[in-house]
Formats: sequence, structure tokens, C-alpha cells
Amino acid sequence: MGHRACYADQVTEHGIAQADSGQPGRPGGRVMRLLVRPTPPPLWQGFIAAAALIGLETAVVVVLKHFAPTMAFGTVYLLGVLLVGMAWGVGLASITALVSAVAFDICRSWPDSFGLTQLQNWVVIVVFFVVALLANGLAGLARASAIEAERRRREADLAARQQTALRRVATLVARGVPPSVVFSTVVAELASCLDVRNAALFRYEPDDTALLLAAADEPGLQKMPVGERFSLDGENVAAMVRESGRAARMDSHDHAAGAAAARIRALGLRSAVGAPIVVDSRVWGAAIAGSSRSDAFPPGAEQRVSDFADLIAIGIANVQARAELTTSRARIVAAADDTRRRIERDLHDGAQQRLVSLGLRLRLAEESVPPEQMAVREQISDVVTGLVGVSDELREMSRGIHPAILSKGGLGPALRTLARRSTAPVDLEIAVPRRLPDYVEVAAYYVVAEALTNVAKHAQASQVHLAVKTEGDYLYLSIRDDGIGGADAGNGSGLIGLVDRVEALGGRIGITSHRGDGTSLDVVIPLRRDTLSSGQPSEPVSRET
Amino acid sequence: MPTGRSPSHNGVVESQVKPIRVVIVDDNPEFLDSARRLLEHQGIRVVGVASTNADGLRSVQELRPDVTLVDVNLGEESGFDLAEALQDSDDEAPVPVILISTHAEPDLSDMLETSPAIGFLAKSALSADAITATVDRLGESHRQ
Repeated sequence: MGHRACYADQVTEHGIAQADSGQPGRPGGRVMRLLVRPTPPPLWQGFIAAAALIGLETAVVVVLKHFAPTMAFGTVYLLGVLLVGMAWGVGLASITALVSAVAFDICRSWPDSFGLTQLQNWVVIVVFFVVALLANGLAGLARASAIEAERRRREADLAARQQTALRRVATLVARGVPPSVVFSTVVAELASCLDVRNAALFRYEPDDTALLLAAADEPGLQKMPVGERFSLDGENVAAMVRESGRAARMDSHDHAAGAAAARIRALGLRSAVGAPIVVDSRVWGAAIAGSSRSDAFPPGAEQRVSDFADLIAIGIANVQARAELTTSRARIVAAADDTRRRIERDLHDGAQQRLVSLGLRLRLAEESVPPEQMAVREQISDVVTGLVGVSDELREMSRGIHPAILSKGGLGPALRTLARRSTAPVDLEIAVPRRLPDYVEVAAYYVVAEALTNVAKHAQASQVHLAVKTEGDYLYLSIRDDGIGGADAGNGSGLIGLVDRVEALGGRIGITSHRGDGTSLDVVIPLRRDTLSSGQPSEPVSRET
Repeated sequence: MPTGRSPSHNGVVESQVKPIRVVIVDDNPEFLDSARRLLEHQGIRVVGVASTNADGLRSVQELRPDVTLVDVNLGEESGFDLAEALQDSDDEAPVPVILISTHAEPDLSDMLETSPAIGFLAKSALSADAITATVDRLGESHRQ
């Protein structure tokens, strides 16, 4: 039957769906669809209909004959010719016209005898026949333009529907929702826009398979196994798309070779159209719409699938860029922390230890000097005092670089030490029962250290409340003071550095500081790296076999 | 108890008093050497040195010193752990531990509070007097 017919079928389906959904369809639409059928009913029905119409028309004319001259009722016969022409085409319409002409002529001369030898009868028959055919031709033209108008309206509807669907997907992509949400929305919208029920998203894997990421399922068919890897051997749309980097279709999988085609047949699908999802000029995956019918897709379906695939590609590129940014921020922070930890350890194990040892030796030297050489003793004593001073300075410096107690004792002892050193009294509430990942401890420590420094410098607070707890996969930290408030992350208060540090770990930081109402800092830091990289495309959890 | 006053500042040990015996556990050989020489000069007997937790534990159990000096940082190991091991391992009266470090006491006080060690000395302030004073303080608090 070809694509043309399929397309018309599809338009019909669409129209019905639209009527069902209660949209204000035009009242003429349904009648038009009944009359303007894409495929004519069987011919024998046409003959019966033509005969019945002519019979009916004759009866009507016989009745009307009592009221007016028969000549006036030729138009009644014209009606049948038009109806037959509309449904069965010009061939049967011609026959109907001829028979109608004869019937009309017989009726006209009734009850006088009807003879083909009379020129008058021939004239009537020929004139009627020609007029009827011309009328039928004109009606055909009108019908054709009505069909065309209807088709264009359908296309415009479809385009509008697709635009709306694409906009919905684009909005999701722009909002940066998790890829899994984008994927499931895309498959639903894709299927709906192609007037099929099945659509799927695949990602090409390094092992030459296509991983099913999301699927919209056709009711009545087996659910598509999300998480399954489909082989790319043989004939299937996923393989064609990957091979060519272009959209591809299969109107039937009936005789297709390969495991994937067999799997697709087993799932009850027959035809499919797919388009590549190209990310960073690499064919990342494919969006594929499918149907349990053969030849379910009109020409041009490739373009529509491609429109969706392009949006998905943008979404994936966004997500990847964001994930890369997050990991690289975290990496930079971690690298800086490692460096600081190493410098602190080197200072402590190296210079600091040597200074201390030298100090002890000098003290030994000092005590070995004979008592009568007081001046020498005093000089050495001065040097010892100086060395101790240098050593203390070095210790202060290395504490600023990295707090040793954090590595040794963990967050609790380190925060208690900070609290002890704070100028404003700190009331502590620490519920951290175990050691946390280095980067979390360091981030939390710096947040508290910076917050307490800010309190000391700006807040004029008389009391600070510090609460730290772990819950699930997160560390929660809250610091409140009763000072003057008005702190701002933008005014060089050091708060901006904290925001950077916490966000680099995928955490969140909230600062509330109304003038006259103290400052509170609320921080959440994920404890696991995978929570941190949640921006990456999520792997399906289960792998069915 | 007056025994704590035994070493004088000029390094001459008063012979009638039995010197304090110590074991030092530290992973820095230079420090071990310097500390041993200074303390010996000041009248303390350094009966053993060690640079790991395991060696330290063994030395202390063998030598039964009056006090053990334990560095807080023992490479990858922690002096706090050794202090606890020494406390736990002994059936008899455990050998008291003084923790030493180049870190300042306030930086470690939170961990020192929960440690069984009897005191803390900054390495730069290490001396026979300081050790004796710490041990004496323990003795006094025991008598009370």
C-alpha cells in the first residue's frame, strides 16, 4: 500500500485520538472522513449503491412528476452520480451517469414509450451524461482541495504538537534535571509525537553493544528491558545509526538477521525509526521509536526522531560538562589540600624536628659550659630561647597550612580545639561517631575556622552555637551567633571561599545574616564521592539477562 | 616526695638518690640522640629507645622503666595508640607515659584529655626537671 496510505491511516488515528481527548474538533471533520476515504470500498458495493440510488431517485422523480414538469428533476439524478463518484471514483461515476441519463429519459417520457430512435432522447441522454460528468469532475476538484487542506491542518497540528513536546524536553534539559528524568520524558514525548507507543534510548557501549537507558512501552507488549545490552550484530536500527551516524529506519524486522533483530521481534516490535545522539562529534547513542505494526512510520519520521535526538545530545553534553566541572573543582580542592597536608608534614618532620633537636643539643652545650663562664652560658641561653621562638612560629605557620589534629584526631577533636581558641564562647554539639573522608573533614574544619574568625572580627557576638552531625550520606554543620549580623559572602569576609570549597564537594552552604539578628551558616556536605558526582549520567541499576 | 629534686642544674647528680629510668619512643633518630644526651647529662637514665609502637611496647615490658616518653607522631603510627596499648597490656601497675610532641599542648588537649598518659611535654621544653615534676605530680595526686 505504500507510505501514503499509512500516513492517511495515521492521520485518521490522530483525528480520533484528538476527538477522544475532548479537543474542540471541527464538526465537519468526521463527515468528511467518512466520505473522503483513502481506499474505495469494494466495487460490487458500488454497483449496488448506484443501482439503489438510481432506483430511489426514479421513485422520487415519479412522485414529484405530479407537481411539476419532469424536466426540472434531472438534478435529482445528478446527486447519485456525485455520491458514487465521491466514493468509487470516476469510472463507476460514468456508468452511473449513463444509466441515470437513460433512467431520467425514460422517466421523462413516461408513460409514453421510450425509443432510442428518437433524436430527442439521445440529446437528453448525452446532455445529462456530459453535465453529470462535469459536475462530478468539479466535485472531485473540490474534494481534492478539501483533502489537501485537511492534510495540511494535520501536519500543522503535528508540528505544533512536536514543538510543544520539544519545548517541554528543552525546558527539562535547561533546568539541569537528572538525565534519568530527561530520558524518560524524551521517550514518552517521542512516541507520542510519532503516533506510536514505543520509544527507546540507547547508549553505545565500548563493547559494541547498545545499552537500553529508557523506554516507553507499547501496551500489550512485553516491557522493554531497561539496563539490557543489545548486540549490534546483524540488521537493526541501532547498528545502522551507529554505522552511518545518520537516521535510519526498518519498516519491518520480519526477515532481519542477527540476535538484536530476533530480540526485537520477540518483544513484539516490527518497525522502527532511529536517529543518532551525537555528543562531542561522537555518536553517543540513539533515540529509536518503534511500533508493533509494520510500516508504521511515514516518510519524514527520521527528521522528527532526529529533532528529539539533538535535544538529548545537548542535554547530555550539558550534564557531562557540569559533571566534569564538578569533578575538576573537587580535584583542584583535593590537590590543594594534599599539598598543604604534605607541606605541614614536611615542616613538622623536617625543619621543626631539627630545630627541636638543635635546641636540645644547645641546652646540653649550655649546661656543659663551666659555671665561671657565665657570659658564654647566657649567650647560648639566648640562642636556645631564640630557637624555641622560631620553632613556635613555625608551628603556628604549619597549623595555618593544615591542622595536624585533624589528621590525627578527626573532626571532633579538631573542632573542639577550634572552639577552645575562639574569642567568643562556643557551645558545642558534635555527633560525628566516626572518621570521615579527608576532604569532608578538611572542608568542615575550614568552614568552622573561617566562621569563628568572622565572628571574632565582625560579629561582636557573646555566644556561638556550633552543631555538627552525620546523617545518612551527609554531614550537617550549623554555626549560629548572637552578634550584629549583616555578613555578606561578597564583601571579602572569606565566606565566598567557603562557598567555593563546599560547592566543589557537591555540598550546599546557606548564609542567613540579617542586620541585628546574628548570623547563621548552614552547610551540607555529601560523604560519598558518588553522591558528589550525581550529575553524571546515571547508570541503570539493574541489568536483566 | 623529695626524690624529684635529684639532678641539679649543673648536671651533677646527687649520688644518694636513685636516678629516674626512662624509655624514649620517637621515630626521629636525631631527636632520640639529642634527648638521650641531654637527659643523661641532667641525671636521668635513658635505659632504652625505640622508634615504632611495637618496639616501644617490647622495650617497656622488658626494661620496666619508671616512665616512658612517647612521641605523638610516630610516622604513620600514633603515640596515643601506644599510650593506650601500654596502659592495657600490663597486668601489674602500668608504666606511666608522658606524651611529647613538637605540636603545642592546646592543639592536642582534646586528645590528651582522653589519653591515659600522665602528662604532656613540648619537645623543646624537654628536661629532667620537667619529667620529674610530671612524675611527682602523679605521685601527689595518687596520695590524695
